[in-house]
Amino acid sequence: MERCLTDLEQHPDDSALLSEIFRAVHTIKGTTGFLGFTRLEKLSHAGENLLGLLRDGKLAASAPVITGLLQLLDSLRSILKNIESTELEGESDHTALIALLEQLKSPAESEPPATAPVPRTARARKSTRKVSAAPHAPTRAPSVRQPASTVAVEEDSSAALSPPPAPVQTEPLMGATAPAHASASESTLRVDVALLNRMMNLVGELVLTRNQVLQATSADPGMTLLSRRLDMVTADLREAVMKARLQPVSNIFSKMPRLVRDLSQQLGRRVRLEMEGQDTELDKSLLEAIKDPLTHAVRNALDHGIEPPEVRAGAGKDPEGVLRLRALQEGSHVVVEISDDGAGIAVDRVLAKAVERGLVTADRAAQLPERELLQLVFLPGFSTASAVTNISGRGVGMDVVRTNVERIGGKVEIESAPGRGTTLRLRIPLTLAIIPALIVRSAGQSFALPQSALSELVHVPPERATAIEWIEHAALYRLRGGLLPLVFLDRLLQVSSDSVPDPACDRFIAVLDADGRRFGLVVDGLADPEEIVVKPLSATLKGIGLYSGATVLGSGDLALILDPGTIACKAGITITEETAASDSVSAQADPEAIDYLLLEMAGRRAAVPLADVLRIEQLPLSRIESVEGRPVLHLDGHLLPVVDAGDLLSVPADHPEAKVIIVVCREGSRQVGIAVSHVLDVARGSALFEAGTEQQAGGVTLLKQQVTGIIQLEDAASLPLVAASARTFEEAIR
Amino acid sequence: MSVQRCGSSDACAHLDEICSVRLNEALFGVPIRHVIEIVGACRAQPVPLAPAFVGGLVHYRGDVLTAVSLRQVLGLPARGKPEDFLVLESSGGAFGLLVDSVGEVLNLSSVDFEPNPSTIDPRRKDLFAGAYKLKDKLLVMLRPDRLDPACLGKLSV
Repeated sequence: MERCLTDLEQHPDDSALLSEIFRAVHTIKGTTGFLGFTRLEKLSHAGENLLGLLRDGKLAASAPVITGLLQLLDSLRSILKNIESTELEGESDHTALIALLEQLKSPAESEPPATAPVPRTARARKSTRKVSAAPHAPTRAPSVRQPASTVAVEEDSSAALSPPPAPVQTEPLMGATAPAHASASESTLRVDVALLNRMMNLVGELVLTRNQVLQATSADPGMTLLSRRLDMVTADLREAVMKARLQPVSNIFSKMPRLVRDLSQQLGRRVRLEMEGQDTELDKSLLEAIKDPLTHAVRNALDHGIEPPEVRAGAGKDPEGVLRLRALQEGSHVVVEISDDGAGIAVDRVLAKAVERGLVTADRAAQLPERELLQLVFLPGFSTASAVTNISGRGVGMDVVRTNVERIGGKVEIESAPGRGTTLRLRIPLTLAIIPALIVRSAGQSFALPQSALSELVHVPPERATAIEWIEHAALYRLRGGLLPLVFLDRLLQVSSDSVPDPACDRFIAVLDADGRRFGLVVDGLADPEEIVVKPLSATLKGIGLYSGATVLGSGDLALILDPGTIACKAGITITEETAASDSVSAQADPEAIDYLLLEMAGRRAAVPLADVLRIEQLPLSRIESVEGRPVLHLDGHLLPVVDAGDLLSVPADHPEAKVIIVVCREGSRQVGIAVSHVLDVARGSALFEAGTEQQAGGVTLLKQQVTGIIQLEDAASLPLVAASARTFEEAIR
Repeated sequence: MSVQRCGSSDACAHLDEICSVRLNEALFGVPIRHVIEIVGACRAQPVPLAPAFVGGLVHYRGDVLTAVSLRQVLGLPARGKPEDFLVLESSGGAFGLLVDSVGEVLNLSSVDFEPNPSTIDPRRKDLFAGAYKLKDKLLVMLRPDRLDPACLGKLSV
C-alpha cells in the first residue's frame, strides 16, 4: 500500500492504483469492525472517506493529501503491531489525525454540493456510519458487485454500530481480489525459517559425508562414476536449499520510495528515485542486516549529496536530483549501489573536518592520497554536516554503514566526483551460512579464518626467522617497508607455554584487515582454502569472544572459526594507525605506483594489478572446459573466459592429474581467469617513460628492477567469441 | 526432576530406566529419557580459553555441540584417550557429556534409591540427585539439567 501511495503521487490520475488502496483500507475497516477494534475502525473509516473522494475524482491527490494518507498508514500499522503483540488496540489517540483527514476532505466540499454535509456530521459516530456508506455505494460498483454493497448500506443505516454488516462488506471484496492471488498461492508455499535452517544443516552434513565418500572411494575406479554423481546431486541440492532462503532485495527497496519522499519534503530537495535489480536475491538474514546501512546511506545521499533545487539550477543541473538504487549479483557477492548526482564529497572539507575533530593529524592528512581521504568519512564520529539535524549530522551514519556491512562479511566502497555525485557500493556475500575460509593450523589444531578479512599471506621459513623483530614483547614484521604488528595465535590462545617461539619451524603470517585494524596473525601452517558451513556455538563458548562459530572440515575434523575483529581488540591493535603510517610511507615514495601480482607463465614474467585480483585457484586441468575452441572455467556457478597467454592449457593427455593455477581477476563487471604456471610475489611497480619523448609506456611496468609486461585484461573482452559465448552460457545456466 | 519417585497410581516400587556410564571405577547414571543418543569413541576438539568444564566440541548430525567433560566437572585429570559421549537434551538445546565409557541400560527399582547423604560436598550436591544401591556398588545419579554448559557456566562465575 505504501508503494501504491507514493506511486499515486507520481500518477494522480491512475484509477486502478486508487482502487487498490481503497480496497486495502476498506478491507481493514470491514474486518476490524467485525472483530470489534473500534479505534482501528474509526481511523480506517476516516481514511476511506478521503480515499472515496479521491477515487470519485472529487479531490486531486495533492502532496498534503498523500502525506495525510501516509500518516494514516503509519498509525494503522502501529495499531496492528500493538494488536499483534498485546491483542489490544493500545491507547494512542488518533483524533488529531482523523481531524486532519476530515480537513483534507474539505476542498471537495465547495465543488460537489452532494458531499457537503459529510464532514459536518462526521463527528457523530452514528451518522458517520450512515454517510460513509452513502458516497461510496455508487462508486464501489466497478470493483465490487453492487448488490452486496447495497445490502451493507441498508444494514448500516438500520443498525448503525452493529458489527455484523462488516463481513458482508468484506466478502465480496475478497472475492474480487482473489483471482489475482490465486495463481501465486498455487505455486508458492510458506515455509518456517527454522525448517529451512534445519535443511541447510542437513545439507551441510550431506556435503561432509560426500567429501568422506569421495576420499574413501577415490582409489576404486568402479565407484568413480557413482561418487561423481553423488557429488553433483549434493552440489545441486545445496544450491537449491540455499536458494530457498533467498529473498528479493525489493523487500527492503520497497521501503525506500516512502523514505525518500518524506526526507526530500523535510529537506526541501527534489529527488527522483530510480531502482534497478529489485529481483536480485539475498539471504534473508543478510537482507535484514543491510536494512539499516541502506537507510543511512539514503539519508546521507539526500542530506549531504543532493543539493537544494536552486543550488542545482545555479550549477546548471536539473533541479530534480536523481538517487539511484541498484542491486546486482557479481560472482558470489551481491552489490548494492547507492548513487546520487549531487555535489559529491568535498575532499578538502572532509580533511578539514577530520583534522578539526582530531581524527587525523594535520601532518599525516597532508600526505594522504585522495582515495584514502574518502575513507575518512567511515571513521566513527565523522560528520561534515554543520548542524545536527534529525536526519543526519551526528556523525554515526557512515560508521554504522561500514560496521554493519563488515559484520556480515561485506565491504563498503565509496567513489565520489566533486559536482557530479557520490556512489556508495555495499558488497555483500550471498549467504552467511557458507563462507570461503582459509584453514590454518596452530598448536596442532585447525582454525578457520574468513577470507573476507584476509589480505595476504607471508611465509617465514626457519632461516629467515629473524625477519620477525621485537620491541620488548611486541613482535613486528617489516612488510614492504612498514612495520606490521604480529599476534601469535598459539600464545593468544594460551595453548603454547614457551614465551619465545621456536625459531626452527616454519611460520606463516596471515595479514588480516579487521575493521581497519591491520595485523599479522602468526600460525604454524596453512591448509587448503575451503568453503565452510558455519555452525553456531553455544552461549558458553561464544562468551570467549575469539570465535565466531565452528565448522566441520572435509576431513571430518572440527575447526573453530576465528573472529579477526576480536582478536585485534584482545591483542590491543588499534585502528588504522599502522595502515595509515605504512601507506603514507609508500605513497610518499611514489604516489603513482600501484601493487602488482607478479606471475610466471611458461618461463615468462607478467603482472596484473593486485587490486583486480579476486582469488587464486589451483585446479586440475580437466576443470578447464572449452566453448567454441576457447578455454572457459566453470567456477561457483559462473563461467569465466580464461586467458591462456602462456599456452599452459594444452598439456599432453597423459597427465590427467596435471594442475594449473588460475588467477581470477575483475575486469569491469566481468571476471576473467588467467592461466599461469607460478604466482611469484606482490611488488610495487611504477610507470615507465620512453627516453626522449617522456611518454608513458603502456602495458609494461618496472617490477623488482625488471621490466615486466602487464596482462591486458581488456584483451579478453576483445575476443568477441569468448565474451559472447560466455554470456549466452551464463544465461543458459540461469 | 531426574528421578521418578514412587508413582502415585502404582504401588511403590516401579522401575526406572537408567543409562549407566563409567568414570574410572565409579558408576554414574543418567535417566534414559534425557539421552538423545549415545556416540562411541570420539575425540572432542579442544577449545582454547574455554571454561574448565568444557571438554571440547563434538560433531553430531550436522550440528556442533559443546561437550561437558564429566572428568573435568568432577576435577579429575583429562584422560587423553577417545571417549564416549552422550547427547543430552536440555532447555537450551542439546549438549554432549563426555565420559570414559557408556555401559548398559539398567532397569532399577525406585525402592533402591536413596537421596544424597548430608555429608556430601555441597558443590556436588547440585550435580547429583542421589544413588541407587546396586549389589556390589553404588550408582550415582546425575542431574542432566545441572550439567548443561549454560548452567555450569553460571555456577563457576
